[in-house]
This record gives sequence, structure tokens and C-alpha cells, in this order.
Amino acid sequence: MAKINSKPAGSVTHLFIYILTFLLLWEWLRPIPVITHTADIHIFVWFAFFSAILIYLRVPYWLIIPALLAGSIYGLHILFYEGSFLSREGGWQTVKLFSGEAWYNTTLIFSGEFAGLTDPFRTFLLFLLLALVCYLLYFSVFQTRKIFFFLLSTVVYITVLDTFTPVEASAAIIRIVIIGFFILTLLHMLKIQDEERAIGRRTASFFSPAWMYTLIFMILAATGVGMAAPKPDPQWSDPVPAMRGMVLGEGSGSGSGLKRVGYGENDERLGGGFIQDDNPVFTAEVDDASYWRGESKHEYTGHGWVSDPVYEEVGGDDLGYTKYESLTETEERQVSIEMKEGVGFSHFFYPGQVQSISLDNLSFYVDDNEGAREPLTFMTDPVGGRVMAETPEGNEITLTAYDLAYEDPAFPIGTMRTVSENDPQEIQDLYLQLPEELPERVADLAEEIVEDEENRYDKVKAVEQYFSESGFTYQTQDVPMPEEDEDYVDQFLFETQVGYCDNYSTSMAVLLRTLDIPARWVKGFTSGEEIEELEDGRSVYEVANGNAHSWVEVYFPEVGWVPFEPTQGFDNYAEFAEEEVDIDIDLDEENGEDFEQPDQDRDDLIPELEEGADDFEAAGSEGSTGGGGPGLAEMFTPRTLFISILSLVFLMVLYQKQSRLQNYYFLIHYKLLGQDKRFSTAYRRLLWILENEGLPRGEGETLREYAKRVDLVLSSQAMMKLTKLYEKVYYGGYEPDGEWEALQTEWEELVKSLNS
Amino acid sequence: MRNRQEPSVVTHPLVHRLIENIEKVVVGKKREIELSLIALLSGGHVLLEDVPGVGKTMMVRALAKSVGADYKRIQFTPDLLPSDVTGVSVFSQKTMEFHFRPGPVMSNIVLADEINRTSPKTQAALLEALEEGSVTTDGETRELQDPFMVMATQNPIEYGGTYPLPEAQLDRFLFKFKIGYPSKSEELEVLNRVEKRHPIEEVTPVLTLEDIIDMKKDVKKVFVNEKVKEYIINIVNATRQHHAVYLGGSPRASIALMKAGQAYAFMQDREFVVPDDIKYLAPYALQHRILLNSDAKLSDTTNERVIHEVIQQVHIPAGKESVR
Repeated sequence: MAKINSKPAGSVTHLFIYILTFLLLWEWLRPIPVITHTADIHIFVWFAFFSAILIYLRVPYWLIIPALLAGSIYGLHILFYEGSFLSREGGWQTVKLFSGEAWYNTTLIFSGEFAGLTDPFRTFLLFLLLALVCYLLYFSVFQTRKIFFFLLSTVVYITVLDTFTPVEASAAIIRIVIIGFFILTLLHMLKIQDEERAIGRRTASFFSPAWMYTLIFMILAATGVGMAAPKPDPQWSDPVPAMRGMVLGEGSGSGSGLKRVGYGENDERLGGGFIQDDNPVFTAEVDDASYWRGESKHEYTGHGWVSDPVYEEVGGDDLGYTKYESLTETEERQVSIEMKEGVGFSHFFYPGQVQSISLDNLSFYVDDNEGAREPLTFMTDPVGGRVMAETPEGNEITLTAYDLAYEDPAFPIGTMRTVSENDPQEIQDLYLQLPEELPERVADLAEEIVEDEENRYDKVKAVEQYFSESGFTYQTQDVPMPEEDEDYVDQFLFETQVGYCDNYSTSMAVLLRTLDIPARWVKGFTSGEEIEELEDGRSVYEVANGNAHSWVEVYFPEVGWVPFEPTQGFDNYAEFAEEEVDIDIDLDEENGEDFEQPDQDRDDLIPELEEGADDFEAAGSEGSTGGGGPGLAEMFTPRTLFISILSLVFLMVLYQKQSRLQNYYFLIHYKLLGQDKRFSTAYRRLLWILENEGLPRGEGETLREYAKRVDLVLSSQAMMKLTKLYEKVYYGGYEPDGEWEALQTEWEELVKSLNS
Repeated sequence: MRNRQEPSVVTHPLVHRLIENIEKVVVGKKREIELSLIALLSGGHVLLEDVPGVGKTMMVRALAKSVGADYKRIQFTPDLLPSDVTGVSVFSQKTMEFHFRPGPVMSNIVLADEINRTSPKTQAALLEALEEGSVTTDGETRELQDPFMVMATQNPIEYGGTYPLPEAQLDRFLFKFKIGYPSKSEELEVLNRVEKRHPIEEVTPVLTLEDIIDMKKDVKKVFVNEKVKEYIINIVNATRQHHAVYLGGSPRASIALMKAGQAYAFMQDREFVVPDDIKYLAPYALQHRILLNSDAKLSDTTNERVIHEVIQQVHIPAGKESVR
């Protein structure tokens, strides 16, 4: 055998880093079977391992190249050819076949026909690549001592795969981060050793146990905290659908996917989880943020809400739907809505109480044909408030843009507290309905919640608040579907206590009804995300499927229907006129995601008329939620921000000034402990402090020489005095006799002059 | 040497007086005088390597006269016999017996001039006296006087017809150093002093031999802390491990360094040895005890430089290291 230079450069530390680096390389190979059709990935891993070892052992080139070639041919044999490798038909055949292939493929490469390369040759190229990567890693660890770029690209690679492919990288990312920490720290240690060698403080490389303990402890602590800390759901929704929508133009119609969030029609069976979908539905130009109302439903079945809308034909200039009564002050406002392409709604979404539709700016299409300005028939369900349009022939249309006039309300709280509670009979008929199977305990709970409250408004607020205080958790996944014989509200209130807006709003409506307070269930969208502020003070909001939402409207005689928001993490945008009221209208509006209702499928509306024009409201709020508990909103209040910043600054100052503080500590420490026997420790502490302050004693420097130097630097004479005494004590074996007391001020002066 | 400019630190009154007395004759050689006294007080011997005429003899004579010591000078030549050094027994016709006639070595202070000019046999006779404190002639061992100190010189210029001292014998000298030329002003001072009459004539004893013997006893009482001993050992050890060194310091080197340290501390009126003493003395005590390897000899490396490197690197104990 030839002279194999089997003495690898570097220390055990190097080897350790190299092994870690190889583990990182492994992370690159792991997901390949999931995203491609590659099988037998372990062969590639073994090959990479083989190359890494050869490279580490610094096998000379004339040996390493044949060895790697043989290795890759063996790999190819396993992957593509038959028979035992060592038999005549096996390995030799493979070599022959492969050389033929290689020749053929080389010609292909030179003629630029890369698509025609055969599979074995591609595999061979991958082997080659792996060997090269191993060499590069060796080089970067042993020569340049830089690995950060590789680490970073590993992280990017894994996260991109995790985001856009089925690869599940939760464990991989933890492994990578831990390995990465180790590599970076160890490399840093090597660098520091080099520097120390350069200035002659150390002669040999070493493996600092203190360094390792700290490292391991820090990594354990960091990962431990990471594991234990609460993890909010992603604040950005999955970018893939959005990108796909953007790139491929895939629309987001109503109720598109089965499990997607969005505005649907059928609410007969509520429950179950859903997944987020952030495809936009429409944009709206409006004065203020408010909820977008689609319709309300009033009949609760025990599993969901049904309505049997009866539409009445109305003119575009008077839609004939009222929510607010005489005591509610309103202001006329305008809104322009533009639906996103591919979104098909034939009914309108509106804030507040819709008044009229501007025919000028109305656009739509019928059966995929751009709707000419043909006349439309507008129809309103006076009970549910659903306003829709169709062609005179009764064909369904898809609205693309419309302008609305609406009434923006301000609800008088004082009035709401004092108005009579005598509801009109038709209100009572429609909005106090409850299924007979509703369990008793729901009503009992309602009584319990409001037992201290006197008037309707406070009772309603108590019920609304109940959900934020009583251990309910907002979540959109893992929400169980009620059984056939189970009541939706009962299940949420007493069994699961986890859910999303439908659970909260339905429960609130039902609880109120058991108290004989008329309430109805409203669906629509939250205000959406403000994407642009216009010069005239108006804003453009973008509303997405994820903003689909449901809430509650409660009837107050002479005031009308007032919106309430029981869902955790959402804020009611409705304006309440008096300040005495403790409605938590918060500063924060939009954080995080918004909401929606679960999947719905179909639509079941039939135009019909209804008499009771009740009063309505516009309301809205929006919010966000993480995994229950306080929303992001609460986490970013000025107070918490202030406190966090303060403590951060404090920590920084502490870190910055640590040596100062330390020195002050020792000043006081030795002042209090002035006995002579403390002198030695005090002197040694002084040496330690001096070293900390960048004035270390040289290796071959005697105390006297050092003292001279220190005194020169600090222009004092104290160090020499202290040193003479210390020499006496330390080398001469004397017990100090009162000298320390005399010198103590000198000691303090020294430390103070260091601090200044 | 880096600490050549440092002022003398001798504060012991008797030693101080002694040095002042010698300085009446020798101009500007305080450091060398001190080193000689350290050798005297710690029972060691000195090898001076220098050109002729720089005052070696004057210094030794002044020292001897200052303490009222018996002084002899031996000029070593190739034909000098061991008995010329140690003494010889002669037959007395009168008494019909052999009488021992003591050689020059049987005195307190001996100047062995150009020691490398004589044959190894004669050198060995002298050097036995250095180490043992006794000489053996005619099968009889005779004690030398106390105090006893040899100051040997060798001329670094002329190597023709010389017998360089072997390592084993160099090791017996406590110190090796140079006296060196005086500066211009010092030389002028020398001329002024000898213009009328040589000052050596006027030197009178300021101490007695008994004083020296007492001081030698006191030197042995100077405390050497374990840490300082450790430091000495580390230095000597480091010379053995230095890459340019073929043969490093022996344990005798460690002993010499410690004893010299004690004497130096004593001269500073201190009752314990500090690392500074050791560090200061190490070059004088060690440089003649190491042998460079051939690579180092071909390069610029010198013994002095090696010792200097070593003392810069060896850690000096200064307390519990855990406090660092």
C-alpha cells in the first residue's frame, strides 16, 4: 500500500465538528424520498459517509478517486442491476454497462441534450455531487473554519420543503438547530484558541470543559424553553394557497373546499374543525372598519341554524330592511365593494343597516357573460336581512362590484339600560325560539351568569363576557362535531369549551333566549385587513375567506338590533354612545388572522317577504386569536410593551456594566470583611479584577513587575504597596498584622480607578 | 540583560558597607560586586568570562582585603601541576618527616586566572576543591578554609591551546558572568583614581571573616516558600524541555538557584525569597549549565536568549490559581 497520510489535521474537536457537519448533510438527504421518487436513500447516505471518511483520512488523490468510483459503481449496481456484485454477471457486467452509459451520456452532455441523460448516469452524478460536498465541508471545517453559510442554507432548505411540500420537518429543524449551535460554538472556540496561540497565551489546542458545559447547558436551556413555551399558531397563514392563487389564478369561491374556512350558506349542522384559507373575497372602500353582514338566522335546531328566507322584491333605492329603531342615532355612509375574481355571491354584504344600492356602479355577470347593464331585480329577506339580486328572468347572477349606502349606528347605552323590556309579539315569536331538547343546564347556566344583573343590557354584557372568563379556548382545529343526540351549545358550554365563532355566537344567542331576551345569529365577515389608506380619510379593506365570522344581535325595544361579540379575541366595532359603559373597545384592531365559519356547502334561499322590519345595527370588530387565551392584541398593549422594553434595557445595562457592578460588589464585600486574614483573597481578587479589566499579569511576570506596570498604567502607588504586603504573606508566610486595614483604602482606590 | 539598568537594592547594612568599600577600587561594577558577594555568602564560586584588564583581579583583591581574607592568585598555564594548586608534601631533612606545604587553594579567596589554559588534570584538582570544600593529597583529605571562594576567569578571545572546561565542571560554578568594559565616564574615574596611587593600597578591612561566617549562617535561615521552590524547579525543568537545548539544567542548578536566591534575599534584608530574586538570578546561575543543540548553535540562538525565553514563559505562582 502506498503511503497513506493517515494523520488528519486538527484535533478531536475538528473531528467532532466534521461529524456534526456530516449529520447536517444527512438532513439534506432525509427528505428526498418524500419529495421525489428516489428510493433507497440509505445508499446515498452510506456513500456520503464513505466519502467523508476517505476525505477525513486524507487518502491521496490517486487512491481516493478510484475508491469513490468503485463505491459509486457498487451503489449503482445495487440500485439498477441484478446479481451479486462479486459474481461475473454482477459487478463486471455493471462496470461494462456503466462505461457504455457513461460514454453515451457524455456525448449527450456535449450535445446539450440534458433531458436525455439516463437514470444510472444521473444517479452517478448525484454520487459525484455528494463526494464533492463532503470535500467542501471538510475544507470549510478544517481550513476556513466557516460553516454558517452551510447551516443557513440547510435551514432554508428544510423550511422551504416543510412549507411547500409534504415533508414534515418539525423534528429536523430542532436537530439542525442543535447541531448548528454546537458547530458554531466549537468553531468559535477553535478560533479563540488560534488567537490565544497567536498572542502566546497558550501553546497547545485544548478542549475547554467549561466551554462545553456552558454550551451544553445553554443549548439544553434554549431547546427546553423552546419546547415548553406556549406556541401561538402561525400569525401568517399558510402562504401556499395564497401563492398558488396568485400564480395560478385559482379562485376562491364561496364554500369552495370542504374543509376550508369561508362564508357558506348551510348552517344546519355546525361543528368540527376547519383549516385556514386566506384567499381574498372582496375589497371595500369605507370610512370605518366594521363587520360585513350577510344575513341573520333565527331558528336554532340544536345542531345549527336554519332559515327559510322569504324574499320580497324591492327597488334598488330602498331595500326595505331595518334594524335600528328610533332611539339609535345613525349617520349615512357610503361603501364601495369590489369582489375578487372568481368569487361568486349573488347577495350583498353590508355594514350597518343597508339603505340603497347605487345602480351606476353595479356590475355583475350572468352565466359567465359580462353582465350588460340589464335591469336587475333586487330582493330582500326582511327577517334575515339578506339582500340579493337576480335577472328579471330569475337567473342567478354573480356580483362583481357595487356601491351601497348604509346607516352607521351609535347605540345609546344609557337608554339600553333603561328601556322597557316589553318586546313586540312578532319579535318574541321569532327570536325566543328554542329546541325542546335543549338541556336544562343551559338555562340554569344562563340564570347563574346573570343573577347579579338588573337590566337587559347588563345581562347581555354578562353573557358576552362570560366566554372570555370561564376557561374557554379559541381554536379552529380539533373541534369535535356534536353527536346526533347532542346539543351543539350544550356540548360547547359543558363538554369541550373549545371552538370558534360559531360556537361562541350560537351559545350566546341560545343563552340569551333562555332568559327571554330576543337574539339572533348573524353571519358575515369581520372588517378584514386595512390595505390602503386613501387621501380623503377613507380606507380600503381586504376581506378574505378567513375573515368569515358569526356574531350575535340582541333586540332592545326602541333601539333595535345591537351587535355583540362573544368570541374570544374579537372586538366589537359597534359604536356605543356613552362612556360609562365598560365595553372593551380596544385600541388594537387587526392583529393576526380573522375568522370565519366552517365549511358550508349550499344555498337554500327562496325569495319571500317578511313583515317585521326590525332594527339593526352595524357592528364589527375583528381581532385575532392565537391558541386561545389573550389575543395578540392583549400581548401588545403599551403597558406590556413598556415593561418588556424596560426589562430588556435593564438586562442590557446589566450585561454592559457587569464588570463595574461586580467590582462594586467586591468593594463592599471586602470593606465589610476587613480582617487581616481576608487580605490574601482580597489581593487575589484584585488580580482577578485587573485581568477582567484587560490588564492581566503575564505568564512569566513576577508580582512586583506586574505591580509596577499596573501602577504605571493607573498612575498610583497602591499596587506596589499591596504587592509588598502580599509577598510577605504569601511567600514569606507572615500573618498580616493590621497592615491590611491600613492598605484597605488603597485597595478601594485601585478598584474605583478601574471603574471610572 | 534587560534588568541591567536597575538600581541596586542591597539594604543589609553590613553588605552595604562591604560593597561601598569595594567600590572605592572598582568603578561602576556594582552588579558584579553584588553577584560576587552572593557567591561568597552562599558558598558558591564564580566564573568570569572576560578579556584581560577589565578589573577582575582588582575586584577580587578588594573583596579579599575588605573582609581581611587570605587571598591567593593562581595563573593557570599548560604546565601547571595539580600539586601546584593543592599543595605538596616535602621531606624535611631536619625532622626526617614529610611536611605538607599548602598550595594556593588553601586560602579564603582564590583567583584562578585563565583556568581553561591548564590541563584537565589540574582543572579537576581545583574543581574537586570547589565542590567538596576539601582537597586530597597523598591520600590525606584536608579541609579548606571557611569562607572559601574561587573566582575563575577565562578569556573568551583566545582559544588556541586551551582546554575548555567540561560541562560537569562548569556546573560547579554558581555564577558565570562578564565584567565588561566600563563606560567612558567610569573609565575616566578609573584614571583619576590611579593617577597618584593605586586605591587598592588604601583598602582596609571593614568586616572580619567571622562576620562573613555569621552572615553565611543567616543566609541559610532565609525562608524559601514551597511555591518559590516550585518556581525554581519549573524554570530548570523548562530549560530541559526547551526546543533549542540539548542538555538542560541539572538538579544542582536548582540547588544553586535556591541558595543564590537566599543570599540575594538576605542582602536585601528580607527574610524570605520572592520569585523576583529567582528571576533576576536565573540568567547568571543557569546560562553556563545548558548546552544548545546543533541546530540552535547554527542559528542565532545563544544560551542567554534561551534562559531569557524560559523565564518569560514560566508561570510565576501568585496565589490560588482558581481565583483567576
